[in-house]
Amino acid sequence: MSAGTHAAPTTETPKRALARRYERLLLFYPRDYRRRFGAELVATLLDGSEPGRALPSLTESAGLIRGGFRTRATFAARGSPWRDGLHLGILVVVLADLAMLVPYAGSMPVWTGLSAAIVLAVLRGRPGLAIPLVLLVGGKVVAIALGRPWLDETLLPIFPDAIWGGRALYSVGGPVAPAAAYTVVLLGLLVLTAGDTSLKKRSWCWWAVVPLIAGTDPAGLDLAGGSPRTMARVGLEVALLLLAIWAGRLAGDPRWAVAAGTYLLTELTVLAENLSSSTRQDVAHFALLAFLTFAAIAVPYRARTQPQL
Amino acid sequence: MVADMAKKSPTVSEPTYFILAALLDGPLHGHAIIRRTLELSENRVKLPVGTLYGALDRLAANDLIAVEREEVVEGRPRRYFRLTDDGRGLVSAEALRMQQAASVVTSRILGTGSAFT
Repeated sequence: MSAGTHAAPTTETPKRALARRYERLLLFYPRDYRRRFGAELVATLLDGSEPGRALPSLTESAGLIRGGFRTRATFAARGSPWRDGLHLGILVVVLADLAMLVPYAGSMPVWTGLSAAIVLAVLRGRPGLAIPLVLLVGGKVVAIALGRPWLDETLLPIFPDAIWGGRALYSVGGPVAPAAAYTVVLLGLLVLTAGDTSLKKRSWCWWAVVPLIAGTDPAGLDLAGGSPRTMARVGLEVALLLLAIWAGRLAGDPRWAVAAGTYLLTELTVLAENLSSSTRQDVAHFALLAFLTFAAIAVPYRARTQPQL
Repeated sequence: MVADMAKKSPTVSEPTYFILAALLDGPLHGHAIIRRTLELSENRVKLPVGTLYGALDRLAANDLIAVEREEVVEGRPRRYFRLTDDGRGLVSAEALRMQQAASVVTSRILGTGSAFT
């Protein structure tokens, strides 16, 4: 259980150092929970610690990390699951759309900037602001995929900036999948604007997704070659879907399944449009996403009908 | 949320069972629940604080326990938790269920005497 006791820093007592370290571990909990119960948890932790200990035990540290994630999942499961899940799903899709454009920002800075503005509007829960931007960027993206000029004089094909390398923008796949992705976003935003209640402001941490999957075209994933960018995208998809399953089980709530389903819908259009040229790896990739999405739907249902205390 | 969606009685995990059992004798604060749980389980169930408070939050959300009072002792805030009638009913039902399950085995072993001869 113990990580061992260590000498305390010279400027503070072991107990104070231990309290400070436990307070840091409490950052895994939601801010509101920390504000209300953080002092009580630290007091209970100190009550149970042996004299002279300055480092948190491994058992208590793991318990706090697990408890923090559980509490975050429970706190997140508030309000309408359909509306909140749709908002989350749309956020993931617009982040993927932005990531697709980032390597081409040098050739089309305005469009990439507008795509980032869509992410910002969705992230801050402002669907009404995002709708005209989605119409503009979606229109431009479909025009590029069709090889037609639209609104400005962007030269086609559009090659990535030197540091990225790779193919020209939308040089693989057809126009249906990108058009479908922007249509899903547009319809979702229209649904969200119709509601009475305001949407959540989501974490700025979501921006970290963009550099991680930048330049990965779902119609041209190099699954057989296993390029780092492709593996990063697949790894992120699997990690987020596993998180969705886990959070759904803890909270018995379907919002993460709704988000997963929204993303899967866009992936389905990619597979449908490119089925004739799809490899076994492409089909296996979609099957994996579909299986995990199905699990994200089934697990909360099971957690509701057979609750565990 | 879980309570109104539940179609079946909830399954009670071992730590939750001992937490409820610890509160049978009266309200306790967090650290006292950990100590009492350890004692009742003969040192088997040592609850990390994060696990304990997660379980307490779930039990309170299902109206099985409630906060009796809050106080500050030597500058440290404490909440004292008590069993509700529903909580007392659940832990009693769980104890009876386990007793019945145990008797399926013990009655046969004691009946033949083979395990104790």
